[in-house]
Amino acid sequence: MKMFVVYSVTGRLRYIGHLDLMRAMQRALRRSGLPVRYSQGYNPHILLSLAAPLPVGMEGLREVMEVPFEGSVSESEFVARLNAALPPLIRCLGARAVDDSHPAPMALLGAAVYRVEPQESAGQLFEALPAMLSRDSLPALKKSKRGMVEVDLRPLIYNAFVRDGSLKALLALAEAGTCKPELFMKALSEQAGLEAPAPFRCVREALYTASFAPLEEA
Amino acid sequence: MEERQLAAIDRLLEAVEKPARYIGGEINTAIKPRVKETAAFAFCFPDSYEVAMSHLGMKLLYYIINREPDMLCERVIMPWVDMADGLRREGVPLFSLETRTALRDFDIVGFTLQYEMSFTNILEMLDLGGVPPLSSRRAEEDPIVLVGGPCAFNPEPIAPFIDCFLLGDGETAVVEMTRLIKSMRLAGRPRREILEALCGIEGCYVPSLYEAQYREDGRLSAFRPLSAAAPATVRKRLEPDLDALPYPDEIPVPYTEIVHDRVALEVMRGCTRGCRFCQAGILYRPVRERSPENLLRLAEKLIAATGYEEMSLSSLSTGDYGHLVELVSGLMERFVKSRVSLSLPSMRVDSDVKEALSQVSEVRKSGLTLAPEAATQRLRDVINKGITEQDISRSVSDAFENGWSSVKLYFMNSLPTETDVDLQAFGDICRLIIDRFRQTPREKRGKGLSISLSSSTFVPKPFTPFQWDAQDDMDTIRRKHALLRETLRIKGVSFSWNDAELSRMEACVSRGDRRLAQVILRAWQLGCRMDGWREHFRYDLWMQAFEECGLDPDFYASRERDRDELMPWDFIDCGVTKAYLWRERERALRGETTPDCRGGCEGCGLKRFPGACALA
Repeated sequence: MKMFVVYSVTGRLRYIGHLDLMRAMQRALRRSGLPVRYSQGYNPHILLSLAAPLPVGMEGLREVMEVPFEGSVSESEFVARLNAALPPLIRCLGARAVDDSHPAPMALLGAAVYRVEPQESAGQLFEALPAMLSRDSLPALKKSKRGMVEVDLRPLIYNAFVRDGSLKALLALAEAGTCKPELFMKALSEQAGLEAPAPFRCVREALYTASFAPLEEA
Repeated sequence: MEERQLAAIDRLLEAVEKPARYIGGEINTAIKPRVKETAAFAFCFPDSYEVAMSHLGMKLLYYIINREPDMLCERVIMPWVDMADGLRREGVPLFSLETRTALRDFDIVGFTLQYEMSFTNILEMLDLGGVPPLSSRRAEEDPIVLVGGPCAFNPEPIAPFIDCFLLGDGETAVVEMTRLIKSMRLAGRPRREILEALCGIEGCYVPSLYEAQYREDGRLSAFRPLSAAAPATVRKRLEPDLDALPYPDEIPVPYTEIVHDRVALEVMRGCTRGCRFCQAGILYRPVRERSPENLLRLAEKLIAATGYEEMSLSSLSTGDYGHLVELVSGLMERFVKSRVSLSLPSMRVDSDVKEALSQVSEVRKSGLTLAPEAATQRLRDVINKGITEQDISRSVSDAFENGWSSVKLYFMNSLPTETDVDLQAFGDICRLIIDRFRQTPREKRGKGLSISLSSSTFVPKPFTPFQWDAQDDMDTIRRKHALLRETLRIKGVSFSWNDAELSRMEACVSRGDRRLAQVILRAWQLGCRMDGWREHFRYDLWMQAFEECGLDPDFYASRERDRDELMPWDFIDCGVTKAYLWRERERALRGETTPDCRGGCEGCGLKRFPGACALA
């Protein structure tokens, strides 16, 4: 069996990197004494896989990972024991046991909801949003392994609106295509006629499948 | 800290490289409430987070201070240059990782000194933290600045920056010092009185209560106390029984990767081998072991509290630990199931390690590290490194038969009496190892032998038999490096060496006197910091600082001292006498070895400390 685990990373811990978070999770699982599984080989490590790397500087409120385990442990016990071992700024919010044959969260991932808070020119950006969304295409330059390539962002922006003084954006996050919040804000800044992309704070609020079901329930 | 400054810290964290260095919040770190009566101790480490958090001594004292109900200890670590510049630009004082409290708002600022080339970082940290770098400029409310660690044994080059040094073991002394300072501060006593009172604690040296005088040629002529409170000789602090001392059963676990990312278990302190270049081998005498029962108990607790997947046994010479096999077996028994691997660093190749090695490799295969230090038997006799070619040969063969295939070799160049023959022999050792690998049956040995050999330029250190010796001059060092590069063009061997300039500065600072503090201050004012990092070391600025201060680097680095020259550190009794060190130097020059003193007392002087040395 394996657990689909929902967790949050908040506050100062938004500054740790993806590998740091993996290590912190592995060490917390070791401290918890939960019956997790290890890799084979000379340097055995705890098997676990996070749905998507959380960019350095970004908080994640409902992140998902899978943790293979052996023997029997209830979902609620798993959550309680993991929370007892985690640092206070990483919280386990839920766990669901699924069969080993269940697809990995990484494979199911399709989109994410972000809360984006512009630090400058918020009014102008909010006003420009409907115009940007009404466009058929949004060409943008994106870094890839082969250098800068042009992509069309428009089909990767599923929805975006203003609420309580910040932007909510449902953006593609999948192997097939991803719109990072930076690119979204760059396009919006251009639409608003700003000279440079507006600085912003960003929180990843939740992860979804390609059919917009919450990832942890998929 | 003000709201504006806290916001600026967040902005800086968005911009700097590796922001995780500055966030704190690691598991097993302590945020203790602070009231007026709490003694607030800022434990300062003058190097990067990755180095600081790898240091056992910091974790030890952090734990020890925080377990006192009337004290708190927070960490303040040298920020990387991008963060240091950012703090200055934004007007944010250097802060503690735990509560983002400015350095100047602590009662005590305590540095540990592991390396001479981190001295400019002390000035940088004090200045960034809002504490005047010169102790003479500190006001009554400013923190008391303390220093400990091995480099405190030649305190003079940083004497004007430090209020009080602690020489020797810190476990009980740091608590005594902290309590004394806090109670006197609460009572409103002036700094001068606090410093005089600190002189009453064994191991404490208060530099402002002493004066140094010099001859015309620059040599020290006199060194004496200026106050009746200050002892003429400062005796090091020594803890005879390690099992009686507190040892952390939980340590902080960093998020970001650090240099030594594992549990370090200090099995013993001190070393009886008597390598003549080694300062630690003298300063940490006598040998004191922890009991295996205590270590096994601590090991279990530490692994449970940290979730670490690796543990190392730490000491100057772990292979000499009296209960090594018992300890390793006990650890393996406990850790095989939880998949904790065990590494044994700084193992002497002549230790009886075969049994221990075969067990360790059950969990993890890693490389073998050997430190022959010199490549010919003659020179190894001079430095009293009791290793023979047969020892090396046997060690590598054992390791290869256990499936290991990478060997790290540590050597030194520019040792006293060294000739080109000694350097060319580096190649012979590599060829010997390659031969042994080829002779190991294919099915047993690992794939692809790799030998990485590094050579560091010898730096004569205080309190060693070579404290009187000159370091090679720069041209000689460079010529020797070129010779080694030529000699070590061997397939499968990679060779690395450290900068000649850095070694020369290290030699200047290691044996510096009080006048050298001007050079360090000037170098820092010119922009020197993080000198131990090749990309930041500015030899040109150091040279400029020497010139502006009218001092000659050769006087410190490449001058042989007379037997009777008064050394800047002679007022310290480290346990080992100057007479013993001189006797060892004479033996060295005659190529005579001195046996490990576990076989019989060699009269180093430790016996003068009652109950300190348990050896016959």
